[in-house]
Amino acid sequence: MNAAQTGPTSTGERLERIIGVVLRVGVTASSVCLAAGLVLEILGGPAAATGAVLLQVGIIVLLATPVARVVVSIVQYVNERDWAFVALTGIVLVELMASAVAALVFNKRL
Amino acid sequence: MPIVTPALALIIFAAGTIAGGLGALLGIGGGIFLVPFLNLGLNFPITAAAAIALTTVIATSSSVSAGRAGKQLINMRLGMLLEVATAGGSLLGGLTAQMLAPATVQKLFGIVTAIVAVIMVSRLRKRNVILDPDADPGLLGGRYHEDESGGTVTYRVKRLPLAFVTSFLAGNVSSLLGIGGGVIKVPVLNAWCGVPLRAAAATSAFMIGVTATAGAVIYYGHGQLIPSLAAAAVLGVQLGAWGGLRFGSRAPVKWLKVLMACVLVVVSVLMFVRGGR
Repeated sequence: MNAAQTGPTSTGERLERIIGVVLRVGVTASSVCLAAGLVLEILGGPAAATGAVLLQVGIIVLLATPVARVVVSIVQYVNERDWAFVALTGIVLVELMASAVAALVFNKRL
Repeated sequence: MPIVTPALALIIFAAGTIAGGLGALLGIGGGIFLVPFLNLGLNFPITAAAAIALTTVIATSSSVSAGRAGKQLINMRLGMLLEVATAGGSLLGGLTAQMLAPATVQKLFGIVTAIVAVIMVSRLRKRNVILDPDADPGLLGGRYHEDESGGTVTYRVKRLPLAFVTSFLAGNVSSLLGIGGGVIKVPVLNAWCGVPLRAAAATSAFMIGVTATAGAVIYYGHGQLIPSLAAAAVLGVQLGAWGGLRFGSRAPVKWLKVLMACVLVVVSVLMFVRGGR
């Protein structure tokens, strides 16, 4: 870390750390669910149903991780009153929601 | 849709490990190797192959960016700005993927892999330029400490509209073909937009998680994502990427790039042949 941090970078540093934690937790949780789910499903028998559920949970946590990262960024930019970036990250969130809605509308799954 | 067996899961885990390792060594995602393996090698529908590859892109982006957070290498502001374009492109790509004929997607994959092969070879000697450390990074630029040179790198972002349009195209291609799209963004950001190579790569890796999610959700909703096989691929790619970063520093990356460019040319031809039938 160097001392010559000014302006956007120093406030951004805090956001970077929070985002790091969100991503780490998300990817670890989903990997654990996916690994356990895969093993249970391969073993078969009564455990296979639990495995299938764990696999779905793992996939959903994986897909939700970047979304959570965007939400956390919006909150942080609101705190900083950085409205331009609130708007930009807001658009990204809307786009992610739109893809979920599109999947839902066209298929009635999810 | 392929029938899931333990053997198939194991094959995909192994393929993911190799793709993840190569991706980490070459500084690209593994999707560009995984998709043709699943589609051409195992005869998966191109949509199922892309869906699996996109989940590995999300996992790689998340774990790589988590490891880099706090080092200022990721340009968060630039990344979040360009994500507006990549996510939009990805959303559109995910929707069009449902309408295009598989043969059309395969031909498109062939074109993109050929371009990637050319980029890979043409940038063999690319070095990072150290810029004036006292320069004003401006609103979107960045400043980070580089371990190799021991100095501080400062840069300004130039030609933002070009970065934006490229990001949109990269997002589009990403969800359509199941690749991260960094291979398109990074050279443009580096060559024309003033972003140093390492910052461009880190920022791109950060962005592709959101990009891939916009596409993957659509495949998931359409029931084209097979959870157990996605799990095998995600775990494999993570293992491979870890190994690639851990043991990869001694690998002769230059020759690896030439070799992989050759592989990509073969993939490109095969995709055209398959798509032309």
